[in-house]
Amino acid sequence: MADSAADVADDYRQALEDLTMNSRIEIATLTNIARENANHGLAITEVLHNHIKKVPPSRTLPALYVLDSIVKNVPTPYALYFGPKLYSLFMGAYTKVDNATRRKMDEMLKTWKEPVPGSISTKPVFPLEQVRPIENALMAARNAAFAAHQTSYQGQQQLLRGRAAVPSRDTPTPPTARPYQPPPQGQPPYLGPNGQQHPGAVLAQQPYPMHPGNGSSGIPHRATPQPAPSVKPYPPYQQPAGREVYGAPQPGISIDKLKDDIQHLIVAEKAEFAQDPLDTSKQTRLKALLDLQTIIQSRDMPQDQLMIIRNRVAELAVNMRPQPQLPPAATAAHVAAVAAPNTIHGAIPYTTYTPTPPVVVQQPNPIPPAAAAAIAAALGRPPSAPSAPTATPAPAASGGSLSIDSLFGQGALAALLAGGARKSVTPRQTHTPQPPPAVPPPAASITALRSPPPQRPAEPSRPAAAPASNPAALLALLRQSGLLGSGASPTPPPATTPTSALAGLGGLRALGGVPVGGDENLQPAALKIFRPHLISQLYEGLGPPCTQCGRRFKTDEDGRRKKTAHMDWHFRVHQRIAEAEKRGQHRSWYVDELDWIRSRETIDIDLPSESLAGASSHDFGDHADHARRDPNNGGTTNPRNQPPASAAAPYLPVPEDSARLNNTCPICQERFEMKWLDEAQEWVWTDALRVGGGRVYHASCHREAAMPMAVAMPVLGGKKRKAEDEGVGAGGGLRGRVKVEGW
Amino acid sequence: MSIPGLGQIVAQPTASTTRTIHLRPFWEWRFSVPRSAASAVSVRLVSGTAERDGTELALNHTYTFARTKSKLVTYTGCAVEVSGECDDLVREYARPEDSPALVFLNLHFALQGQRAAAAAAAGKGGAGRGPRVMVCGEGPCGKTTLARTLTALATRAGGQPLVASVDPREGLLALPGTVSAAVFGGIMDVEEPMGGFGVSSTPSSGPSLVPVKLPMVYYFGRERVEEDVPLWKDLTGKLGSSVRAKFEADEAARAAGLVLDTPAVAPGEGGMKILTHVLREFAVNIVVVLGSAGLHSELQRRLATEKTAHGEAITIILLDKSDGVADRDKDFLKFIREAAIKEYFFGDSKRTLSPFTQSVSFDDVAIFKAPDETDFYDNQQALEPAEISAEMSHWTLAVMNASVNDPPETIRQAPVMGFVAIADVDEERRRLKVLSPVSGRLGNRPMVWARWPEPYINLLG
Repeated sequence: MADSAADVADDYRQALEDLTMNSRIEIATLTNIARENANHGLAITEVLHNHIKKVPPSRTLPALYVLDSIVKNVPTPYALYFGPKLYSLFMGAYTKVDNATRRKMDEMLKTWKEPVPGSISTKPVFPLEQVRPIENALMAARNAAFAAHQTSYQGQQQLLRGRAAVPSRDTPTPPTARPYQPPPQGQPPYLGPNGQQHPGAVLAQQPYPMHPGNGSSGIPHRATPQPAPSVKPYPPYQQPAGREVYGAPQPGISIDKLKDDIQHLIVAEKAEFAQDPLDTSKQTRLKALLDLQTIIQSRDMPQDQLMIIRNRVAELAVNMRPQPQLPPAATAAHVAAVAAPNTIHGAIPYTTYTPTPPVVVQQPNPIPPAAAAAIAAALGRPPSAPSAPTATPAPAASGGSLSIDSLFGQGALAALLAGGARKSVTPRQTHTPQPPPAVPPPAASITALRSPPPQRPAEPSRPAAAPASNPAALLALLRQSGLLGSGASPTPPPATTPTSALAGLGGLRALGGVPVGGDENLQPAALKIFRPHLISQLYEGLGPPCTQCGRRFKTDEDGRRKKTAHMDWHFRVHQRIAEAEKRGQHRSWYVDELDWIRSRETIDIDLPSESLAGASSHDFGDHADHARRDPNNGGTTNPRNQPPASAAAPYLPVPEDSARLNNTCPICQERFEMKWLDEAQEWVWTDALRVGGGRVYHASCHREAAMPMAVAMPVLGGKKRKAEDEGVGAGGGLRGRVKVEGW
Repeated sequence: MSIPGLGQIVAQPTASTTRTIHLRPFWEWRFSVPRSAASAVSVRLVSGTAERDGTELALNHTYTFARTKSKLVTYTGCAVEVSGECDDLVREYARPEDSPALVFLNLHFALQGQRAAAAAAAGKGGAGRGPRVMVCGEGPCGKTTLARTLTALATRAGGQPLVASVDPREGLLALPGTVSAAVFGGIMDVEEPMGGFGVSSTPSSGPSLVPVKLPMVYYFGRERVEEDVPLWKDLTGKLGSSVRAKFEADEAARAAGLVLDTPAVAPGEGGMKILTHVLREFAVNIVVVLGSAGLHSELQRRLATEKTAHGEAITIILLDKSDGVADRDKDFLKFIREAAIKEYFFGDSKRTLSPFTQSVSFDDVAIFKAPDETDFYDNQQALEPAEISAEMSHWTLAVMNASVNDPPETIRQAPVMGFVAIADVDEERRRLKVLSPVSGRLGNRPMVWARWPEPYINLLG
């Protein structure tokens, strides 16, 4: 508890300044702070109000979400405090932000007319008489704009509607554009279903299953903008996500579209089949597809099954080409694994839509890795479980017969025919986080899956031996899907089998049959051979990608460590960008040969821009310093800009009036040495001290002169100073780069 | 009532700006964004995997491309959502074998094999030298693209290759007119027009969303190597020795080897001299010739018995050039040069930089002028003190990492510290207005005024 309103306000202001994106955690924290300091509510209101007024447009929305979260979770006293200011606040923000943000604001405004969902109170968030003027103003403005741009605007609407209604072909993805938002006076569309489906606060965690594709990190790749999860988890403006996650009967799925897709696939498959008529796997797959088409055309399917079929069909469409040579078992498992939520392509319907404003897309993720790890730990298992049953048929199908079962998982056909009798097979992890009871436990399937690899170790490593690496690809997929853990998991990963092809999984040596160091690989003929099994080395073999930049990290111990460092790095950069925006930054000088040769690429550990160009070298080594994540810690940045008092020789930024000043030390009569000091990002006089705003002395000379016993010994003083300088230069090393300007 | 900004709901000109493109494995989506400053195209990978020049795109992340002619390749099939206007084309290949991307990929895997062997040898006390690859070809044939692809793929696999460019037409992590080298360890910038090779990937005083790379830069100051071959040879020699020293000191870079981008040369005596010079300076053991059978046969003839400094045989590979090599006309090249200069000082969309403008007296700066072409007969005369005049306005000068009292040859071959732009010359008051990336006095570093790149007219306007 802070002492006074002023302190609270100051802390709160600093915390707000660190809020640059829609981070649920940060918003929740800010809400909690507001709740705890409700006795200083007026001060906090004032701070937030001012903050919203002055932040740049890109950061307005997060600030508004804080406001939204506070008034919904702590209506007393904040709704009262904010009410009178609402109009100016909202309209002020509305005028400066871009259209995408405006749509978010419209949604938010809508929710303010409603009672807080899940609340026992039936009062709206803000009294209608406070919301209505805003709406009226917006309508007036919109009508004006509408009249002015009628034609084009209509075009846009139609475009948006069109995109929403007609899913694109071949994608496993529902349309990505937001459905057109009805104007604010319309009925909030999402409340009903959501209220029924979200029984309580537990669902605050529900956005995470949307993002299981993050694999080991489990970090949701978009921060979600909803406020304080523990209390009212789902403010209505979040609802679009809710609808897509839980609304299994997706409005976007049309059976015609599905048929169309299957038809498309069949045509493509036929083409492939025609190219290689002897390939039985293609033949059987084609057969399976044709069967599926018949089933779909002859029966009415429940929507949720249609969705599953559609996803897998889409996955097949994407995956058909790269894996044409996989044995059926691998294909089936591949499809199954791909359909499992933890893979890169998987669970597309759950990941494509995130209600985040576009500004966040470019931003690093602010979730602290520690929290992320916890989330991953909490969520790691359940989502992956449903993939177990679908993976089971793999060994069975390896005999060569490929059917709909192996394409779409065991029981899929039966499930289709039974028309929903066996719903438990469907991997709708959000509804059924536990594995369905009727299927074998994951361990069994793993054992089953492990059986094929030992049959293959003798495969010669020639390019033609494509299947040799397929177990590897399969294992990589499974590992990625979380089915097989890494070394730490209780199930020993099959990579420990003595087979070299497997042992080197993803490693440099496992070039999938390319003999190491051989020049024959550089022959033009060799370079033109298609080795599909190698491709997984660029993807699955490297582990799941970082959601922010696409760099991949393995899921073993080392990879996990690197990934943590990497996410930390993203986080730090993000933090520092906000700082740098205030301070301004500039291109650094390039270095000279020696520095360049000594420099090392330091990936995700230090920021090279700092270590080499030395912007603020105080940051090094403390990347594990979690304290900086405390939003209240903003103040600690200040000491960086001050000259290090004790660490190095004192220096003085070259005074602006240097022309009029003495440029020699009055004591030793030597000139001040001018350096570019990267730490300070300034030209400085080293070992200089300005006394009383007037003359400048060498600090060492001045110190000696000031000592009672010291007879001024300029020569000695000079020597001493030089010795110190050398000490600094040598000790500075890579970190405190000091570039000596030659005089 | 009218709210400022609300009336500006811009009419989107066409309804077809957002579309989804589906690519099957090894297909390419080629695009060319018009170079007007405003136009950009955003691309989002919706499913599957895709990459630009070897660097993978993150799923569902919106990338914005401006003034770029490039392509996205997929090895596994993908769907991308594209919005914005650009000239584009989906290049379809009936079989993966028809795609040039496959050859690049196989080349990468072969190099990876050598890198792995080098790393293993280093563990056993061997030298652990990874492959040194030189990419060369005639005219525009995708040399830099291949170099970038090989770099990105190696980086992706965890390697830290050294990349050097001895082609002054396009700077690597530096302004045009330079030769430079850098170790690439972090991911490369997908959005940047030069795909991570551009000047915007170099360090600044603040953080960067994409890991920066630290280059070693020498200033050539001319567009084509042929304009001053002796100087170019000196500079590439310096660069080569820096690279060798770097390899000695940096084990990771040594194992990952070198990717060397060269200027376009024609078969013939002059071109061969250029190529063999860098080949020796950088101890190249693999030469990739893109699309020029003439160069290939000539190199084979000349290098038949040649070994590298480390005693390895030299492999020469002829690869077809992609039919998608973009035609970059003079205007386009000039445009990207000017954009690079602007980015050097002011940053790009992701990182806004604030350069410093200062006014200095003529007497407080040491500017040297590279002699004009007509003077080249006098080999001793590397640099002469420049007469500062209005003619110098808008030129970009290189600040050298040397002392003003060094002999001209030393200054000319010194590493580049950075660049300044002369914003204005006031001859009457004898003062210069100088735009510099870093604040501080410029007087104690020699600056070199060469003949290229041409002045940028409106840098401050």
